Amino acid sequence: MRRTLRIYRRSLGAHLRAVLEYEADFWVLIVAGLLFQVLNLIFLSAVFAHVPALNGWSYPEAVLLAGTYGFVNGLGPLFFEGTWRLAGKINHGELDYPLTRPAPVLVQVVSGGIGLHGVGDLIGGGAMIGWGLAHSDIDWSPARIGGALLLLASSATILLSLIVVGNAASFWVGGNHPVFAMTLIRTGDMAKYPLSIYGVAVRATFTVLVPYAFISFFPASWLLDKESAWIGLLTPLVALYCAYLARLVFRHGLRRYDSAGH
Amino acid sequence: MSLVEARGLTKIFRRPEKDPGLRGSLKHLVQRRFKEFRAVDGIELSIEAGESVAYVGPNGAGKSTTIKLLTGILVPTAGTVRVAGAEPHTDRMVNARNIGVLFGQRTQLWWDLPVRESLALLRDMYDLSPAFYKQRLERLDEVLGLADLLPVVARKLSLGQRMRADLAAALLHQPKIVYLDEPTIGLDISVKDRVRQFLRELREDGTTLMLTTHDLGDIEDVCERIVIIDEGRKIFDGPLAQMKDRFARVRRMHLQLAEPTPAEKLAERLPDVEVIAGDSPTEVTVTFDRFTHTAGQIIAGVLDVVEVGELHLDEPAIEDVVRKVYAGELLR
Ligand SMILES: Nc1ncnc2c1ncn2[C@@H]1O[C@H](COP(=O)(O)OP(=O)(O)O)[C@@H](O)[C@H]1O
Ligand SMILES: [Mg+2]
Repeated sequence: MRRTLRIYRRSLGAHLRAVLEYEADFWVLIVAGLLFQVLNLIFLSAVFAHVPALNGWSYPEAVLLAGTYGFVNGLGPLFFEGTWRLAGKINHGELDYPLTRPAPVLVQVVSGGIGLHGVGDLIGGGAMIGWGLAHSDIDWSPARIGGALLLLASSATILLSLIVVGNAASFWVGGNHPVFAMTLIRTGDMAKYPLSIYGVAVRATFTVLVPYAFISFFPASWLLDKESAWIGLLTPLVALYCAYLARLVFRHGLRRYDSAGH
Repeated sequence: MSLVEARGLTKIFRRPEKDPGLRGSLKHLVQRRFKEFRAVDGIELSIEAGESVAYVGPNGAGKSTTIKLLTGILVPTAGTVRVAGAEPHTDRMVNARNIGVLFGQRTQLWWDLPVRESLALLRDMYDLSPAFYKQRLERLDEVLGLADLLPVVARKLSLGQRMRADLAAALLHQPKIVYLDEPTIGLDISVKDRVRQFLRELREDGTTLMLTTHDLGDIEDVCERIVIIDEGRKIFDGPLAQMKDRFARVRRMHLQLAEPTPAEKLAERLPDVEVIAGDSPTEVTVTFDRFTHTAGQIIAGVLDVVEVGELHLDEPAIEDVVRKVYAGELLR
């Protein structure tokens, strides 16, 4: 495990150094990420210009929710960007070499790139979280702080696992582009708004079938002591389940890998 | 036990069977039909430690697929593989440390990283100590001229440079056995020579080699044993010299004629034989199949037309055999 983490870290580090060579790109990407979060904020403000609260969520609380989602989403490009190249790699037989090296293929795939726009998401999302927390009424205690951090880590695990599952679908679906993963992750964007605004079908789907609601809605509900806040405490379990699922799906997919004719 | 042992090695690919056009594609979505294709069909192969084996056959014969089976990239449909006692596709981690792999058509270097970074990543994956790594780099630099390439991003390398860097990547951890799939493809002569020289040294160091190639020079320079496959089946396995005897059907005879004679005139007298005019009007070259004609018959035929001054018979060339193998013309 430690060895695997070291390989992951070194690989990511090498790609980071490579990207930093192009300084101009660096700033463009970060600004792009930031801009995306600003757009989110503008949209929320527009909605709240008309209503004081959204199904019991005040403006600062909604900002906190969207910020959490944005922040967690920034981790994908930063730490798992390589995953998005899986479809192309399968299609071109580019898993051949990784399969002949003494390191887990998933780790080699996941660490095979880095997307700096994630930094913009982190900064933008982080600022929104900060502002949201400052303007919400939260009863802080050491337990609450610890819990919040645990839930954040769990929520990140869920999103990264979903990225793996979605992209691993390429082992079955084929094709050069991760269409399935795109759809899966972009659908999750709906979870940056309070889940209670959606109908029962969407809520059930997002809770049970694809647990987007555990990325930001339930953890934030717990922190803000909303209705059925206790569900938020299930987030670590859901995270473990998702991580397990991601590993399983990837392994099964890899067994289907047939290289490409050359 | 041999270092590499393959028994009844078979790989069947499933190919989607589609009617042409959009309609065909839609129909395929509903009613999936597949055609099975045997790329490798019951190959038996043993390679001893220290051997160097050329694996040849026409395009699509199943060479690359065999290598992918031996390296654990593909799971065999039937049959077994053992490499240094391990089963490659199940004991991936163990096997990985024993083998080095190079597919000439594709690079294993990280496309957007400098060569140095790619090699350092491999160092981490193979757990090479700093001292060993340094010593290996120095050694590889000596024979491959690596130093100039280290700071260059992989995508900016020329083909020859890329192949040298890729060879270094495949050999960094000093594997017991090295599989090379077309290691000289597309290289110009000077780089080719360098690569061959390197492979010879590798062999002398005791490394086991298996290489597929379209290049005769590679085979003659590097390998003592040749395995020929066609349509997934093994059709010859033995020393190079033996292959010449068995398959070198084409013989070439150079004749110095007593007086100028058009090649066509000789060709009339010698059906099924190729007669080509030489540099001067009194020289001809006759190419014949030794299974259908003897040298005596050819000489007798020529003597019917014109007196012969001198004659000279070429050694059977491995070139002819291998060219035929690749053209898929070998008698079965
Ligand atoms: N991944 C694959 N899927 C389907 N067919 C394949 C695949 N790889 C190779 N083939 C087919 O198997 C046959 C053998 O291919 P290959 O081993 O690459 O031949 P060679 O290396 O001898 O030219 C070819 O007909 C090729 O089209
Ligand atoms: Mg090939």
